[in-house]
Amino acid sequence: MPKLGMVIDLDKCYGCRACMVACKVENNTPESHFWMYVFRLEEGEYPNARVTFLPRPCMHCDNAPCVKVCPVEARYHEEGGIVATDWDRCIGCRYCAVACPYGVNNFNWTKPEEDQYLNWDDPDLIPLTAGNLPYANPDLEGRYGGKNRRIAGGNHRHGVMEKCTFCVHRLDKGLDPACVANCPAFALHFGDLDDPDSNVSRLLEQKRSWRLLEEDDTDPKVHYVGGAPPPEYVRQIETVKARE
Amino acid sequence: MATRTMESRTALSNYGFYAWIGFLAVIVVIGLINFIRQTTDGHHLTGLSDALPWGLYITGFVFFVGASAGATIVGLMVHAFGRDDYAPLATRALLVGLLCLAAAVLFIAVDVGSIPRMLRLPFIWRNETSMFTYTSLTYYVFGALLLAELFYTTKVTRGEATTGDKTVAKWLAIAAVPFALVVVHAPHGGLFAVVESRDFWANPLLPPHFAVVALLTGTALMMGVAVVTSLVDGRDLVSKKTVAHMGLLLALFIAIAAFMDFFDFLLYKYSDQFAGNEAWEALWSDGIVLSTLHVGGYVVALSIILLNRGRSVGWLGAAAAIAVIAAASYRFNLIAAGQSAPLLPFLEDVSYSPTWVEISISAGIVALITLAYSVATRVLPMEEPAEPLAEM
Repeated sequence: MPKLGMVIDLDKCYGCRACMVACKVENNTPESHFWMYVFRLEEGEYPNARVTFLPRPCMHCDNAPCVKVCPVEARYHEEGGIVATDWDRCIGCRYCAVACPYGVNNFNWTKPEEDQYLNWDDPDLIPLTAGNLPYANPDLEGRYGGKNRRIAGGNHRHGVMEKCTFCVHRLDKGLDPACVANCPAFALHFGDLDDPDSNVSRLLEQKRSWRLLEEDDTDPKVHYVGGAPPPEYVRQIETVKARE
Repeated sequence: MATRTMESRTALSNYGFYAWIGFLAVIVVIGLINFIRQTTDGHHLTGLSDALPWGLYITGFVFFVGASAGATIVGLMVHAFGRDDYAPLATRALLVGLLCLAAAVLFIAVDVGSIPRMLRLPFIWRNETSMFTYTSLTYYVFGALLLAELFYTTKVTRGEATTGDKTVAKWLAIAAVPFALVVVHAPHGGLFAVVESRDFWANPLLPPHFAVVALLTGTALMMGVAVVTSLVDGRDLVSKKTVAHMGLLLALFIAIAAFMDFFDFLLYKYSDQFAGNEAWEALWSDGIVLSTLHVGGYVVALSIILLNRGRSVGWLGAAAAIAVIAAASYRFNLIAAGQSAPLLPFLEDVSYSPTWVEISISAGIVALITLAYSVATRVLPMEEPAEPLAEM
């Protein structure tokens, strides 16, 4: 059984946020939901200021607090160690969001609109789609993993918790997660952490690595190489708009 | 003449009763309308967010679970501790315990995203590693225990109980006391204490702290019930001595809770944990009103009880009301301040204020159980005829 994980090379990331856009397009996540978020951080004062970037997907922890506290096993470990959410089982108690130290959970506070970003019924846009509506990706409705549960994609019913799935529907086809596939700087890498020949293992061998909030013993499967854990004195350039 | 006076008093009390029920019904309807709005439009009508996912509803939930456990224990003083002077309160306390448990479940129901799915917990869907699974199971068992105890106790008050019934009532009571405290309420402290990412909560003393506040809330509530019932009915429900005894119990629970709070505050203040310090700051900035109500409420309630020494039942009732407000403030601040510290050190503090939708739904739940209590105490036999007692 592979141990799927991500390695983020902070030496290469220049904060373009293409990964955030790719994730939204791929998973059709609701407005203000960012399953992948790139923090833009600054430290120092002008003229000695410095900007750094910290991409933050779900850490898919081996010792995931959200999996432990979920009362109905809607949050569970899928094959490969992916921390999955069963959209058909989540009761929306938000215990996972309270327990997660990384703040990666997004609750559907409103009823998600399927067609969120453009009015694809617009006569000018109809010829572009040729009947294949961009938000209506059938892969997102499929069932995946050993437990055959509905765990892919976003845009689910009101009152359900959502988060990064490592694009489980793409992995099923042998593809990388959308954020990894679309990173123009090749800063994001994905693979089997247990396979010494995988790209992620080789990268971890080559460069010094660290994990976010390592002291919390959550054993995250997202590793960072280059840079350093952000200290307390850095400031976020713009705040995350959690929801409207 | 005497008959006419009696008739007019009864008529007046009926008018008063129906006005009271009407008032509560209006609050329930407003709450219901807002609950329907929240269900159809979404929880965005609340002041909650992904950064601070639990708020007023969870406060109501833990407050009423605590009140349920505490009130039950007061009600079972007769059987479990041989305090016969508490007998007139016994059935009322069981009713309060049952209704508070119902209120707690309603608070959870309005908080979750899907009520039909929630109802599958824990018998159809469960996760053995989750405290929530465990606590949800205890509601069913505790609810059943309270219903059974209420059944046998009302048999006693109706004068229909056999010796066997009385024995069952006694043993149910003896089982219910530790169950209420150890099995039902203390684990609710565990719901928070297991969350390691929130330094403000991750404290092994939280379950016993919750149990003490439960005892405090239940005792204060039942003192309030004794005083208000005596005022409304124009007769002493229990003796002045019994109310004074409840006051002393309340003083003891306040003192223990204050002792635990003091050391919690001391540790937050001088902790090297980032979130502990952040939570301390939140308690005395955004949460300053409730922190003052919490700490000040304990001080005032304790002072009244100790200075009054049981002389005035009215003042003891006031102390009980203040203690309930202080305990509710503690619950709210624990939940809100516990989430206010940012998860990642570079993020900003999170603040939370409940919206009118949350407030009206919460008020609706409180009004609903108050309404149920008001009607039930009229319909069900609450006590055996008691001797007239000394003037309050």
